[in-house]
Amino acid sequence: MVNPDQLDIQLSPEELKVLSGAHGEVLQKVMETVVLFGEALGAERLVEIEGSGHFVIPWCYPGIAPPIDMLEELVNAGLKTKFPFTLDPYPPLDFENLNLETEVEEAIEAMYADQDRYDELISHLGLRDDQAYTCNPYQPEVGNIPERGTILAWSESACAIYANAVLGARTNRNGAIMDLLLNILGKTPLAGLLTDEGRKANWLVDIRTQRLPDPQLLGAVIGLKLLSGVPFITGLDRFLNPDLDEDTRDYLQEMGAMIATYSAVDLFHVEHITPEAADIGRDLLRPEYESCIINETDLENVLDSFPVQWDDPEAKPEKCYIGCPHLSLDLIYTWAERIERELNVQGQEHLAVDTVLCAAPQVLEKFQHDQDTYQRMLEVGVRFSPTCSETIFETGLCAGKPVVTSSNKLRAYTSARYYGDRKLVEILVKGNVDG
Amino acid sequence: MAEREGVRQFKGRPILPGDVVGEALVTHLGFNAYASFYDCLSGNVDTAVCADAGNDELYGRRLDSKIICLPQTIGSTSAGAVWQRVADLGLAPKAMLFSKPIDSLAAGGLIVADVWTNVRIVTVDQLGEDFLIAVESGGRVHVGEDGTVVVRRSGEGEHEIK
Repeated sequence: MVNPDQLDIQLSPEELKVLSGAHGEVLQKVMETVVLFGEALGAERLVEIEGSGHFVIPWCYPGIAPPIDMLEELVNAGLKTKFPFTLDPYPPLDFENLNLETEVEEAIEAMYADQDRYDELISHLGLRDDQAYTCNPYQPEVGNIPERGTILAWSESACAIYANAVLGARTNRNGAIMDLLLNILGKTPLAGLLTDEGRKANWLVDIRTQRLPDPQLLGAVIGLKLLSGVPFITGLDRFLNPDLDEDTRDYLQEMGAMIATYSAVDLFHVEHITPEAADIGRDLLRPEYESCIINETDLENVLDSFPVQWDDPEAKPEKCYIGCPHLSLDLIYTWAERIERELNVQGQEHLAVDTVLCAAPQVLEKFQHDQDTYQRMLEVGVRFSPTCSETIFETGLCAGKPVVTSSNKLRAYTSARYYGDRKLVEILVKGNVDG
Repeated sequence: MAEREGVRQFKGRPILPGDVVGEALVTHLGFNAYASFYDCLSGNVDTAVCADAGNDELYGRRLDSKIICLPQTIGSTSAGAVWQRVADLGLAPKAMLFSKPIDSLAAGGLIVADVWTNVRIVTVDQLGEDFLIAVESGGRVHVGEDGTVVVRRSGEGEHEIK
């Protein structure tokens, strides 16, 4: 039990009452957790959360979600989040879209045996609706788009960094379970990226490549170089539209997801492009900032460092997952065009590799309205799923299998091999990685 | 910071205080908790062997009951729940010793495990860069309630600093 007299964080009379148990033991425990969290972060006080949450806890699988008995404890105490929330993608139970081996399907069914109960509890706790599952919640079709300056308590590193950097909202990098508890309390510690000072850059990262770098590799290089802190990135404005159009947003989403995978960085500024950089410019840099330069060699080095984890490195790829994080509608069309073009170039009618494109349910629904393109993609062998491809690997049965991907994040957490978009589409049509 | 042959003492900030002694496991890279504990989350294993192929210093080494010495954690926010799970399974490290200020992801996960599972993973941060230079994997580490950390190079004796 926390002794308020030993805390540095300042609590209001009402917060102290909650901490004393005046509103029940469970809420007391929630408050104790949040107060200790604030103390660890050096927060001056707690502040009100101002917008919907996005959390990384859609799966009932132990170790990546709150245990069911904990959710029951919260629900039985009548608690729920201050605002409705969205979640990361639903578990890979849409077998009709995934074409998995029977033993993998059975393993997934066993892993998610408690999913119905989990869904019921999470719904009681404030899930927005039964389609609110994606790791790209700020797509217009999904609509969890916080306004600039909104105080949030998000998890999912790819989402938190996007909300901070591209949308200009304010969230720290919260983990699974803490995300839910903060939003139940409706308060979050005033620290780190919630403060003007915490959002200042301590790194100037100068991109000196001749062309727009692959965001999957650039994000990895930035994450590895910095490990933590806030980068102010220059040189990308030579290639990206400063109006934050769809292409720019998609690029920054991919780059941000990779920065977050490789580091504790959860905010970046891009000169002349992201909102705070566009308004404040280089005054965002702290006086004592460090500098680094990134060129083509850095990108090549990180690509060369990726280990081949297939059981048979010479195997022909059998499966491809695209959309980690989930694709936007625009990116689905980009992949459809790429695939169509490559099939034409190579005179093929069907992909040689079983390929799954992953996106939010609402985005897939909109794409399916374009029946010509949708049916054409199905005919050439593309599948569409709203799930998280990475969770399929959690069965342990796909490790070492010849899977390819355009996502360096998926690669980082599994044995899938990463290829840039141009190379990958060749592989999908030719059916071998050396093609 | 005190020093004598093969033995050095550092003072950090106790986040989750406790008095433990154990074997150090050191990474100078960011510690990706989710990737590292990936293979033990199912609960069908007796040990937690690091599964993060991206971390040469830890990959394939046992994490449970060790004192992990690191700069910060990195990577997936799913890691928040990982700590509670490994604590519940009895596969948690004895302590987490951070050279830098603790990151929000690690702080949240370790505190949730502490409050909701009642398993303490002793946590100290702000031990400084010299700490990660001094401590070696396999060496003996003593963590005190007040955040004092005594490190001995591997092979050094068990004598205490007074």
